[in-house]
Amino acid sequence: MSPTDVLDLVLLALLLTCAIGIARLKDLAAAAILFSAYSFILCLVWAHRGAPDVAMTEAAVGAGITTVLFLTVISRVGRREK
Amino acid sequence: MNNRKSARVLTMALMAALAVPLTYGVLQLPTPGQADAPAHSNVSAKYIEAGAELAGSENLVTGVLLNFRALDTFGEVLVIFTAWLAVAAVAGGAREAGQDSIPPSPIVDYVIRLLGPFIAIFAVFVIVNGHVLPGGGFQGGVVLGAMLIMLSLVLGTGVVEGVFSDRVWIWLRAAGVLVFAMVALLGLPAAGFLFGLGQAPALRQALMMALELAIGVGGGAVLAGLYFSIAGTHRS
Repeated sequence: MSPTDVLDLVLLALLLTCAIGIARLKDLAAAAILFSAYSFILCLVWAHRGAPDVAMTEAAVGAGITTVLFLTVISRVGRREK
Repeated sequence: MNNRKSARVLTMALMAALAVPLTYGVLQLPTPGQADAPAHSNVSAKYIEAGAELAGSENLVTGVLLNFRALDTFGEVLVIFTAWLAVAAVAGGAREAGQDSIPPSPIVDYVIRLLGPFIAIFAVFVIVNGHVLPGGGFQGGVVLGAMLIMLSLVLGTGVVEGVFSDRVWIWLRAAGVLVFAMVALLGLPAAGFLFGLGQAPALRQALMMALELAIGVGGGAVLAGLYFSIAGTHRS
């Protein structure tokens, strides 16, 4: 297995961990932050896979804008999942 | 309690049943980069060979997005504009007067004020270089939108939104949809089909640049508008 394959596997394992964490967290603000981390890791996957334009969009939209939108909405509707 | 347990077992069973065909499907996919995979053996050879000339863009990804698959991109531009319309319709009316977000810490404030101009330049750079470098209108547009949202966090939504009147903001958000529709219709007389760019190289480049700028400005304004609608306070 080449080093770049190992990097891919590590990133995918991190993605999976984040995804399970997001689904299990009851604290919505924490889930939003973890979702931001998920997007950053996915951004690394895109960049590593040779799609810099997708990586750029993922970083700006996934990690940046959606996190802000989520947190803003959470601040209006309450932080705990019922 | 028993009911809940059986629901859980059912969920697990359904997910396992879904996972099997999905895993099977993924395993059937050709190895990435395999030359005779279906994705590479039909039109892509033609795109790679003549794409730069046909689409008026040296960057093939931009050529595909804005020319060969321009109708798909038009659909995406429509989707984000419609998303903003929906959010504005649902959340825009519920703004509370006078209440803005909590002021951020001085560090966040300072860093955002420092980085703002650089991010703005980067966004414009990505938009106008979309035909030669990775990125393009949408990528630059989201960076622009992120910058507007960041500035709103520091300065307050009212200040950033107040740069333009509501009327101007609506035109900016609709820019992507309107310019795409115009370029699509221009293709009919110029080339006989929607999004045809005609023969003159200068005209092609101008139309591509118009599309890039429109997605950039439209996308950025739509994304910022989403934030304004959700977080903003009403200007009196």
